[in-house]
Amino acid sequence: MSIKNGDVLFRVENLCKHYKNGPKALDGITEEFRKGEVVVIVGPSGSGKSTFLRSLNLLEVPTSGKVYFEGVDITDPKVNINQHRQKMGMVFQHFNLFPHMTILKNLTIGPEKLQGKSHDEAVENAMRLLKKVGLEERANAYPSQLSGGQKQRIAIVRSLAMNPDVMLFDEPTSALDPEMVGEVLELMKELARDGMTMVVVTHEMGFAKEVASRVLFIEDGVVKEENTPKEFFGAPKSERLKTFLSKVL
Amino acid sequence: MDYFVEHFRLNFIEGERWRYLTNGLLVTLELTFFAALLGIFLGFLVAMIRATHDKTGKLKFLDLICRIYITIIRGTPTVVQLLIIYFVLFGSVNISKVVVAIIAFGINSGAYVTEIVRSGIMSIDNGQFEAGRSLGFNYVQTMRYIIMPQAFKNVLPALGNEFIVLLKETSISGYIALEDLTKGGDIIRSRTYDAFFPLLAIALIYLVLVMIFSKLVNRLERRLRNSEH
Repeated sequence: MSIKNGDVLFRVENLCKHYKNGPKALDGITEEFRKGEVVVIVGPSGSGKSTFLRSLNLLEVPTSGKVYFEGVDITDPKVNINQHRQKMGMVFQHFNLFPHMTILKNLTIGPEKLQGKSHDEAVENAMRLLKKVGLEERANAYPSQLSGGQKQRIAIVRSLAMNPDVMLFDEPTSALDPEMVGEVLELMKELARDGMTMVVVTHEMGFAKEVASRVLFIEDGVVKEENTPKEFFGAPKSERLKTFLSKVL
Repeated sequence: MDYFVEHFRLNFIEGERWRYLTNGLLVTLELTFFAALLGIFLGFLVAMIRATHDKTGKLKFLDLICRIYITIIRGTPTVVQLLIIYFVLFGSVNISKVVVAIIAFGINSGAYVTEIVRSGIMSIDNGQFEAGRSLGFNYVQTMRYIIMPQAFKNVLPALGNEFIVLLKETSISGYIALEDLTKGGDIIRSRTYDAFFPLLAIALIYLVLVMIFSKLVNRLERRLRNSEH
């Protein structure tokens, strides 16, 4: 089954996550993300936006509700989640590169072990991706030898090496020194221009304004407001969003 | 000087008594090597079960068995374990003493290796685990390719130390009348009524073995560290 632009990629139904004796991290979210969309999720810290993103590839197992990915209910325990995760790239706040492998190996291990690619094929593809981010001469370096910005760019292409249908970003620039934020955002913009479907949790409002096709405002585990970036930032409806925006802009 | 030469001759040369030491050394090395293998195997297996339980909450029953195993082994003297395994467990079975000792020391070492390896697994940032899983690796693959190689490197010094302890611990094999290095020295003592030379000789041999082994571990450690920077 090939997926066309505009097809529903993710369908989330009444997603809830309750911690024992704790607050509700997610309190009933229903959403649809389509192929080619760049959805940016914003909200105050502790609002549940990261939990929501991590529920999409089931790193966070929801208490109730359903997540359909490419038409398959991946919250069904009988589904082999590992197969579906290969189609969803994920980028973390703290990069999480594999420190005991070279950069090249970081990029080739997935395709080789999971997709049965030959070593040569995986290396060729990895080098093409490294060239794209201008780090091909660091192929044999180890992650500890790279700057934060370089690490995050490598983390992004590590996910891209799996040739995913969607990329999930969990605050990808929050752990970076300010001068390195730009290079990572630039790469993400390039991805968006190339038509990659992206779901991005971030505090970078500039990125949301420029690149997003849709912006969601999550608070207290629910989507309080969503709109095109123009409307979202230009004419916020709820009082809560107005206050939030006045603080972050 | 004459005293020294005379006693050396008496303890080691006469009646080829040095053979007690060389034969004993071979037994000690054999014992340590195979017990270490068994210990590593058991240790990694049990550590995986324990860590899997800690991370996912699965394998409750196996985890309970593993915890009982660790508690018993760490809570009782090794000599007692050796005696129980030899006289009770294998009391009515005709089986080589070396094999019994390997089993006893392997089971004993496994309990310590378990806790070392488990602490190594737990020391790896959970983000590594999530990164592996999010790429599509299953639990076992994530352990194998991402967590264990890093954990192993972290616990190598502690593992090396455990094997030094194991090597020295095998000196209690005499309790089941197995002629290891210590027992060999002790036999010489009982023949010559001279305690100084044979006991000093075996102490020296243990010391040299431990020093060689420490050096090897250090070198391996340095090589592993170099591969990262």
